[in-house]
Amino acid sequence: MALLEVEDLSCRYGSITAVRDVDLVVDAGELIGLIGPNGAGKTTTLNGIAGLHPPAAGRVVFDGADITGAAPDALLRSGLALVPEHRRIFVDLTVEENLKVGGVTADRRTREQRLDELGERFPVLRAKWTTHAGYLSGGEAQQLAVARALMSSPRLLLMDEPTLGLAPTLVDTIFELVVALRDAGTTLLVVEQNASRLLEIADRAYVMRTGEVATSGTGAELLAQGDLFESYVGGGA
Amino acid sequence: MTELVQQLVDGLGRGSEYALIALGIAVMFGVMHLVNFAYGVLITVSGYAAFYVLDAGWSWWAAIPAIIGASVATSLVTELVAFRRVRGADDATMLLTSFGLFFVVSALFVMYVGPNVKNFERPSWVTNTVTVGSIRLEVFDLTTLGVTAVTLAGTAFLVRRTMFGISLRAAAADFDAARLMGVRSNRVIQGAFALAGLLAGIASVFILMRAGRTSPTFGETAMLKGILAALIGGLGSLSGAVIGGFTLGLVEVFLIARLPDDLVGLTNGIVFVLIALLFIFRPGGIVSVRHAERV
Amino acid sequence: MSIALVRRGLAPLGGSAVLFGVLLAGATLYASSGGASRDRLVTQMMINAIIVVGIQVFVGSTGILSFGHVGFAGIAAYVFAVLAIDSERKATIIGNAPFGLADVDVTPWVALLAAIAVCVVVAVVLGLGLVRSGAQSGAVAATVITLSLLFVVHEVAVNWTDLTGGDRAGLSFAIGDTLSSMAPVYVALFASIVVARLFAETRVGWYARASRDDTLAARAMGINPSVPQMVALVVSVVIVAVGGSLRVYDLGTVTPKFFFLDYTLLTLTMLIVGGRRSVTGALVGTVIITAGNELARYLAGPDVDVPGMDWLFREGLSEIFLGGAMLGFMILRPKGLLDDWELDRWWSDRWRRRHEATPTAPATAPAPSPATLTTSAVTVEFGGFTALRGASIAARNDAVLGLIGPNGAGKTTLLNVITGLVPPTTGSVALDGVDVTSWPSHRLARDGLVRTFQNLRLFGSLTVRENVAVAALVGEQFRGDRQRPTVDELLAVSQLWEQRDRRARELDYGNSRRLELARAASVAPLFLLLDEPTSGMSETESLEMIGTVRTIAAAVGAGVIVIDHDLGFITGICETITCLDQGEVIAVGTPAEIQADPAVRAAYLGTHTPSAP
Repeated sequence: MALLEVEDLSCRYGSITAVRDVDLVVDAGELIGLIGPNGAGKTTTLNGIAGLHPPAAGRVVFDGADITGAAPDALLRSGLALVPEHRRIFVDLTVEENLKVGGVTADRRTREQRLDELGERFPVLRAKWTTHAGYLSGGEAQQLAVARALMSSPRLLLMDEPTLGLAPTLVDTIFELVVALRDAGTTLLVVEQNASRLLEIADRAYVMRTGEVATSGTGAELLAQGDLFESYVGGGA
Repeated sequence: MTELVQQLVDGLGRGSEYALIALGIAVMFGVMHLVNFAYGVLITVSGYAAFYVLDAGWSWWAAIPAIIGASVATSLVTELVAFRRVRGADDATMLLTSFGLFFVVSALFVMYVGPNVKNFERPSWVTNTVTVGSIRLEVFDLTTLGVTAVTLAGTAFLVRRTMFGISLRAAAADFDAARLMGVRSNRVIQGAFALAGLLAGIASVFILMRAGRTSPTFGETAMLKGILAALIGGLGSLSGAVIGGFTLGLVEVFLIARLPDDLVGLTNGIVFVLIALLFIFRPGGIVSVRHAERV
Repeated sequence: MSIALVRRGLAPLGGSAVLFGVLLAGATLYASSGGASRDRLVTQMMINAIIVVGIQVFVGSTGILSFGHVGFAGIAAYVFAVLAIDSERKATIIGNAPFGLADVDVTPWVALLAAIAVCVVVAVVLGLGLVRSGAQSGAVAATVITLSLLFVVHEVAVNWTDLTGGDRAGLSFAIGDTLSSMAPVYVALFASIVVARLFAETRVGWYARASRDDTLAARAMGINPSVPQMVALVVSVVIVAVGGSLRVYDLGTVTPKFFFLDYTLLTLTMLIVGGRRSVTGALVGTVIITAGNELARYLAGPDVDVPGMDWLFREGLSEIFLGGAMLGFMILRPKGLLDDWELDRWWSDRWRRRHEATPTAPATAPAPSPATLTTSAVTVEFGGFTALRGASIAARNDAVLGLIGPNGAGKTTLLNVITGLVPPTTGSVALDGVDVTSWPSHRLARDGLVRTFQNLRLFGSLTVRENVAVAALVGEQFRGDRQRPTVDELLAVSQLWEQRDRRARELDYGNSRRLELARAASVAPLFLLLDEPTSGMSETESLEMIGTVRTIAAAVGAGVIVIDHDLGFITGICETITCLDQGEVIAVGTPAEIQADPAVRAAYLGTHTPSAP
């Protein structure tokens, strides 16, 4: 049984249907990519799954339970976390406080433990533990956003454009992190603008265009499609 | 010299009441970005709670929990009925919401309770004094001062150190992002309103003990002083609010003592003017709070 | 007939005439079929409308909510009354008035002028504090200061009995000595509407609205927000002063209560029902609330006796109606019924669309005389953290310079230093030989340094076209001698022409980035400083941006400094690239040199080699 199953998902903004009849399957332990041009509906899909924007139609099943339209805080307790687009870190809180919020559902001891672990794993953040998050650079903020989501030890981690605005070395770091997370047992569904690099490490990927899933396949298959692929990913919505 | 110390203590005592209200305003603002006009409503409601309890023959020991309970309950109701629905709106919208709410509630009191002032008994120890050297201190002032200090410490601890406080600041900064972290943002915001209600309740206890009466517009002036105190101190800073409250109290007492008789009525006016001048020279208030913003 | 003349002059005049005409017709109709009480209601409504329009001028332009305008109206009312009441009467009511005012006898006209003058003086003083405080602590602090004014006026009116008659008697004109004809009210109302609309279409009016939407971006485009805010305040106060004087002259009496919280609630509710951002809305709101309020008063009054409704139809109903309307609109429709719709603008937009031609691409500017932008050993320390260390860069206004480096390397900080947002701890910035270190952003922009922002900062409620147009106003005012493409040409070359009438906040990401670029270019700068202009764009869009940036820079004759992480874009567009790491410059060279540089590879480019497609 798949960890996440999305069936016929449709999401609306007022009268505009942003996402239509989307089907996705994510098995435990996989790294699944969700790619496509701007405006294709990738973020809307993730938000629909994570409870930020209740879907207009369709079903989302997580670990056997129907979670369609469930509240985000309830989802987090079940083990599904989202690193949202534009990070949305709490700018007036310190790095440490941001992380603590990420661990709000855990008890004190576990939370402290995870803080230590993440501090080690993200030395850049450890160095700025008491800095207000609003003063972090783009790359530091992205690391904070990921670390914050990891505080709840999620089984399924959704990531929305984690390398947006990052320098190439940091893109490397983030991708290495994503692979490391997958290897350690976290299942990941990642939306990325940097499609070619994501396809190199993803097990499978879905390509979205104008609100629908246009094609899917393994990373290698999609990369091999060359020109066809460019036309999906290169052009504007 | 003794006169000066006397005035100092009087000012601090009076300032304590302002500080308590300012603290509630600062919690609302620093954490919710809301300057709450309807705060005055909490004080008015507390007044009527006190009146009815005392009128029914109970003592102040019963009145105090009634006051605090009424204030907290009213605060929660205002959150449910009004502020939840304008969450995330711009500052002006939220200000106007609280303004409208203030009038509606005051009108309700006029309509159903009557516009007249209601008097009640002040507790007997309100006028007690204690003499230290040649200075006469009012026990009441000292109590208010003490309670204010404890309340400030408690509130600061709550907001800065506990998970509740951190969750609250997160939910106030980004309601949905906080929910993504598992924060029950609705509950947490309710908690903040309850806290503000508690603070208003504590302040009301002392204000009512001193005044011995209430009316539909009773909370107005106290609330305005509280808002100004919070502004003077630096909107958004808890300690600033308390400093602002004390400053306001001291300035008032000194002015009343020093002004010639025919100008005493203008005390409030002069205070307001001084505040305006303060803002020209120190726009952020005494404890200017900078927001972390990366361009 | 130029589009500008129509939009800025004729349309507002015509629209105001129509609005006033409708109001007058409706009011006359209503009053003609009733008695004196209807006349009273109409007069009061029109006077209220004047005050509401005055408040709208300030609130709509600056976005700052003001509780103080009723206080200004009160000041005007008292000044007017003290001067205009004839000395015989004054002797009986305020015989002890200070400064010998009890003996003063002037015509109502002089009294009105004096009232306006006093209000303007107070407004300027208050405005200084308001503007400074607003900049630091936000609009809320500014609003609370206006509230203080309201309370000060009230306190003074209550306590300075020798001058004001206190709060029992107040001041009152002799019977028959009050406003006798409606003409002054009509004239004042029409004039207020015209002034409000004309102001909104002036350069200052546009600057005010841009600053309202994003103060930082406005500064970066060369606008100094303090000036439009002050002007808006003074204009609004003049209108309100006229309204306040007319109010007391019509009512014949004034006490402190007339210009305090109740009246503030009334006028603000009128304002928000129609829409804070619209003069048309202010008038619509005034009519609706007047009607509703009257109804409430009637129902609560002695003439109505509906069985079973006594619990509602009693004193206080009027406040419930007003407060309830305020609450209801804030919860359900905070923008008001009309949001920012204006009758004359609707009409002139339609006229414009019929008469405008699709623009062509802009011409390339003649080769600019060479100018340089340099920083010398700029160091920036934030507390214990050094963001920049001895950074020196040099850019020419006929070339594109790239700034790359890992996050936290100091690129945006350097940009912030150059554009005046962050003062350097040591070091200097020079534009064409002139030391411009720590100049305020708006002054730098006016002298030719304009930037875009990493986190988009568009003027959200303005249309795409208006975003570019308001920057063009700055260009026209301060850089008029330079070659400037027209607004339409810039829109065309940025692929924004189709979207020109959409509000900026509705744009998708790619278009928003292009709008930032077009807006910055519209100021006709010497140097365009772009902060991550391709962030969030796909590969194709990024490569297209190379062409867009080149064309725009050429049309304006500007040099470019660009920060970005998209290597395809950076190597494609830059002649020279400077690489920063940990606050220091570690390499400068052509794209080829930089990509081969080992230090750059280690710090920034990484070792990843993409697998062949």
